[in-house]
Amino acid sequence: MPTDQYLQGQLAKFLVRTQAITALCILLALAGLDFFFPTNYHLQAGIHGISSISALVLGTYLTHRAYALIRGVHINFHSLRYWLMGATAINFLGALSGNWIYMRYRGQDGPKDWILANVPAFHNYLMEFKEFVSLFPFPLMLAGSFILFYYGDAIRERRDLTQLVGILILLAWLFLLLGFVAGLTLAKLRFV
Amino acid sequence: MSEFQSPEEQSKLESTEQETLFSGPAIAATVSLLLGFYTLMITHHISRLSKEMDKFIHSYGYWIPGSTGVGPDGSIGSYAGKEALALLVWGLSWTIFHLLWRKQDISVRGWLPIFLGGLLLVSLAFIHPIIDPFILLLIDVFG
Repeated sequence: MPTDQYLQGQLAKFLVRTQAITALCILLALAGLDFFFPTNYHLQAGIHGISSISALVLGTYLTHRAYALIRGVHINFHSLRYWLMGATAINFLGALSGNWIYMRYRGQDGPKDWILANVPAFHNYLMEFKEFVSLFPFPLMLAGSFILFYYGDAIRERRDLTQLVGILILLAWLFLLLGFVAGLTLAKLRFV
Repeated sequence: MSEFQSPEEQSKLESTEQETLFSGPAIAATVSLLLGFYTLMITHHISRLSKEMDKFIHSYGYWIPGSTGVGPDGSIGSYAGKEALALLVWGLSWTIFHLLWRKQDISVRGWLPIFLGGLLLVSLAFIHPIIDPFILLLIDVFG
């Protein structure tokens, strides 16, 4: 490979990584700054926000791996297993912290009371949908992780099973995005 | 049949069996999560029927921290019971189906459309304006 081409390749790799890290840090600030909001519930808000954004970013990254699984091209299953397991753990944290912040959402003079008094449809339709579908990504990702660990590298022989894992990842991402947008909308409407 | 097989044939059969991947465990993992989601949906709508039903569903989740309480800190209320029952159905059905199907090959391509259709239906059933007419119809029919 000519030296120029090699250097340009290295530069592109460096820029791709820098872009990804910068995007992640800036996106995390979206929820990380919640820690400094003037509310008694800044800890719940910050942890739920950080875990939700991390879950969405990880889930989005995994969709790229999912397409490789669905197409049936060469996959590093060892790495994928651990990425998916990590995403499953972050999703669990997202659901757990979601439960924690949901307490205040329903608390006296909390967001639920305000929303019901002013724009009830946002609670009756959006929140009643969001609080349940936000629980979906964790079991979907756990099932995907289980399948990858249970079958090991031998799963290469079964395209139908690798495709199933790819579809589980895509589904988890879809519900993550739905939950994220709904959650962010509700937080914008009335913060805890 | 095996008493007529030579040791070579037997060991060949055994190694083929070891290498065979059964799709049963993967199907069990996905069937059970769908059952868990349906439990969430059904318990949610049961809890909406009356205060007594809400309390009944809630009671299954009393063990979950934050499930009860009033004041500004609030509580997750009957959501705890819905989660607890969904966890129970998910965990139990996963264990049972895994044990039943661990040596069975079930068509993944046949299961996928059912799985995706089931997920779409359960998601739509959480949108109140869509599901409420059906619930009212069920109440009318069954009292």
